[in-house]
Amino acid sequence: MASGTTTAGGAPLRQDAAGERRWRARRHRWDVRWSPYAYIAPFFVFFAAFGLVPLLYTAWASLHRVELTAPADMEWVGLRNFSRLVADEFFWNALKNTVTIGLLSTVPQLLIALGVAHLLHGRLRGSMFFRVVALTPYATSVAAATLVFVLLFGRDYGMVNWALGLAGIGPVNWQNGAWASQFAVSTIVIWRWTGYNALIYLAAMQSIPDELYESAALDGASRWRQFVHVTVPSLRPTILFTIVVSTIGATQLFGEPLLFNGSAGATGGSDHQFQTLGLYLYEQGWVNLHLGRASAIAWAMFLILVLLGTAAGLINAYRRRTG
Amino acid sequence: MRVRAGRMTYAVLIVFTVLSLFPLVWTAIAASGTNGRLARTPPPFWFGGNLPKNLGIAWTDANMGVALLNTVIVAGTVAAGTVLFSTLAGFAFAKLRFRFKNVLLLLVIGTMMVPPQLSVVPLFMLIAELSWTDQLQSVVLPALVSAFGVFFMRQYLLEALPVELLEAARVDGASGLRVVWHVVFPAARPAMAVLAMLTFVMAWNDFFWPIIALTQNGSPTVQVALTGLGRGYIPDQSVIMAGALLGTLPLLLVFVAFGRQIVGGIMQGAVKG
Amino acid sequence: MRTHTRVPRTRALLLAAAVALGAAPAAGCAADRDGDDGRTTISVGLFGSFGFKEAGLYDEYMRLHKDVVIEQTSIQRNENYYPQLLTHLVSDSGLADIQAVEAINIAEITATQAHRLEDLGTAPGVRKDDFLPWKWAQATTKDGRTVGLGTDIGPQAICYRKDLFARAGLPTDREAVGRLWAGDWRAYLETGKRYRAKAPAGTAFTDSASGVLAAITGSSARRFYDEDGTVVYKRNPAVREAWDIAASFATENLTARLQQFTPAWDQAYANATFATVSCPAWMLGYIEDKAGAAGRDRWDVAAAPRPGNWGGSFLVVPRSAKHRAEAVRLAAWLTAPEQQAKLFQRRGSFPSASAAHALPAVSGARHPYFNDAPTGRIYTRAAQGVPVTILGPKDLVIAQNLADVGMLQVDQRGRSPEAGWDAAVRTIDNALDL
Repeated sequence: MASGTTTAGGAPLRQDAAGERRWRARRHRWDVRWSPYAYIAPFFVFFAAFGLVPLLYTAWASLHRVELTAPADMEWVGLRNFSRLVADEFFWNALKNTVTIGLLSTVPQLLIALGVAHLLHGRLRGSMFFRVVALTPYATSVAAATLVFVLLFGRDYGMVNWALGLAGIGPVNWQNGAWASQFAVSTIVIWRWTGYNALIYLAAMQSIPDELYESAALDGASRWRQFVHVTVPSLRPTILFTIVVSTIGATQLFGEPLLFNGSAGATGGSDHQFQTLGLYLYEQGWVNLHLGRASAIAWAMFLILVLLGTAAGLINAYRRRTG
Repeated sequence: MRVRAGRMTYAVLIVFTVLSLFPLVWTAIAASGTNGRLARTPPPFWFGGNLPKNLGIAWTDANMGVALLNTVIVAGTVAAGTVLFSTLAGFAFAKLRFRFKNVLLLLVIGTMMVPPQLSVVPLFMLIAELSWTDQLQSVVLPALVSAFGVFFMRQYLLEALPVELLEAARVDGASGLRVVWHVVFPAARPAMAVLAMLTFVMAWNDFFWPIIALTQNGSPTVQVALTGLGRGYIPDQSVIMAGALLGTLPLLLVFVAFGRQIVGGIMQGAVKG
Repeated sequence: MRTHTRVPRTRALLLAAAVALGAAPAAGCAADRDGDDGRTTISVGLFGSFGFKEAGLYDEYMRLHKDVVIEQTSIQRNENYYPQLLTHLVSDSGLADIQAVEAINIAEITATQAHRLEDLGTAPGVRKDDFLPWKWAQATTKDGRTVGLGTDIGPQAICYRKDLFARAGLPTDREAVGRLWAGDWRAYLETGKRYRAKAPAGTAFTDSASGVLAAITGSSARRFYDEDGTVVYKRNPAVREAWDIAASFATENLTARLQQFTPAWDQAYANATFATVSCPAWMLGYIEDKAGAAGRDRWDVAAAPRPGNWGGSFLVVPRSAKHRAEAVRLAAWLTAPEQQAKLFQRRGSFPSASAAHALPAVSGARHPYFNDAPTGRIYTRAAQGVPVTILGPKDLVIAQNLADVGMLQVDQRGRSPEAGWDAAVRTIDNALDL
């Protein structure tokens, strides 16, 4: 590799070369120092205009009583919008629902994805067909997917209850049962995302060296034990990534429960049984028109996530130090 | 270890395939009949004769030609812009040293967690101030701020771009932009492709903000156009399903036509941690 | 070790991005659509379907005014439409020249957005005396500006299935059916019990408890607010009585436990699983469409126990409308008695212009789908008896939570009427920020 241009030559040339080297070194330093800012600048310019400004407005609004009917009229209320959340049964209910729907959708989704990836990892006829099919639900919009699931989960004429009826079960009230509705909403999420996650796991599985399996096989490990002791540990970073992404998605879950509720909009069911935080925020802001309170909910959600993230980080650091 | 797949494997995969495709196929079945047909017990399992008619109604009622064109422009621009900005920023966060790096990175990760529903009001006030209401840039520009994209590219480049490669290029005398051009972009290409697809699909399907920012007669995207379907007090489920199908079909066709490349892209670009 | 890659492709990608970025604003600039031929484009923003277009009113107006082109946008659901309208109003942007407002939102719009709207009460050709006084008052501010012109109203009747009534041993003639419950909603409940005793298998007396609740609250003058604008729904005996009667329908197993305006409700029409529904005039078209050919002449219309109103709409013209004067003229024309009569004839939207009620097109109207029921006479009589309901800005929130939270719990989750009421009250109090 050419690491310099210092071929032998006359003194003037050497001086030139030295000068050039100095200039290049300076340019290099300048480059190293400032170019990072140039790379992040486009993102942060847009972020400042379309991300930060709304964010700061939201923070400011959360300290006021302000209505959508007149967003310019702000009445200072300090932290009242936050303090009232503590006693707000609907906020806690939404938080609880967000957690349970989050678990109901994320855990099965990732487990199924892992299983499907494992199956796809074998030598398989038509593997490309299965992979493409796995991805098609992902291409469907939340709106289109929810529309069709509302019909499928209909209490009186839906296909799901018809099938359950053949087995002598039901009819289940998928819209207004407590657990049934959470399950139904989760199903939409699971349906849309499982295939995508399966492909990500599959990619990671393919990069696991065969020797690991061979030595495990030599130790007499069964297929299942190989899966548990070789595959899963090797996938840990990937699994972590998908958990992070799914968790963020789950905390912001909004479109599915909104559209699943048909004409009743943002209530999240007659007992608010599937009203998520995102939906409660929407109800406060866009139905009840209280922008200040909605802003406070948004920031509370944000703080909860930051807390979760920090906790996860601390646990991780602790484990790394002790383990 | 790759084991030859047994019958069970095929059986399970076929069940998975059926479950994945069924809601889509049934959307088409629902779109092919009438309201009355949807009310039968058992529900219809096969296509009725009204599919072309319902698709036609949905197409004209929702002004779908314009909407599709707009959506391609919006989703394409958003995808291209997001990938470009995210790769540059992700590269800087992954491999370069600069002041405030960690603070800025935390800021990026933080914004990933901000629920998007709330920015709508201040954002619309901003858009109105700029007189961008009902113009495509009102949905394009805000969507370019993808904290997820930056995070995603950073995670990928952390592993995929060896420091030695960068240093070699530097020693070689390559300036910043040339390093980006000849080293970073090639290394990042698989992840860029995945991010492009993710962003494209997301922009295609976004409805919450576009409904506020655009109108049906101005420059609607597909999702905005679809809100006009249903004819008010008398929504026809079959037509609504036909509209949903029309909005999804182009993406599905792309996925089927380029399935191999898209899947390959995802598998290459999958973040390794 | 320079990595040589296919630069052209990368460059092409960047170029594409740049072009696309530059092209986006250009592509968006098509928004201004005033024709080159000097014609004025008036935009009308609606929710649902008002039927102006379908009834040929736009075409007629454009024939009368060759220099005008009318363009309509319609968002299917008011839940999507109203937040958009508010956002656009408060930022004075993205508004159509004429916007529609649902009756349940008109008090809020009049109270908070009047300064952004044209005074249509003084517009040329608009006569206060043409309209029902209460409809006119609903869109009039305290200082006397009328910012919305009424389109239709929703006088109520009871639609019933003759075939199911016959099988349950009830009278089928519409006059006799009306007499079953005339004057008293409790008599409607008692009729339900009679129906239940001999009900055809798989059918219920009515669709939902929430529908009954909406009908009863629509027939009392004071419901959620009192004259000073105080929220009184909680201690208003009329609301409590409406609640108790409606809840009895659920506890007595007289409903099909449906939620209105959902796919399941539509499907139930097609399968004829309930025998009655309280139907404002605008619902007739809905029933005809959903019950389909199989329901023709099986459905009929009888008078409601007490006259009431449910729904209806207004047209407003924002001050920032691009073609204000033309928009005002069009709004006035669309809501004039003659046009309202045409709309009733062709679409079934009942006129809020009382001057239209006497026109033969309205008073003599019969509905072929509903056994040729004299719908003109039935709804006109109902409209004349509608009490002047006191509206308030949060009517939507109160009505919706009473129905979709409280009553739905009673109807679908088997909660007691008391528990449902408490749940609704807690939700409403939280929503109203009391």
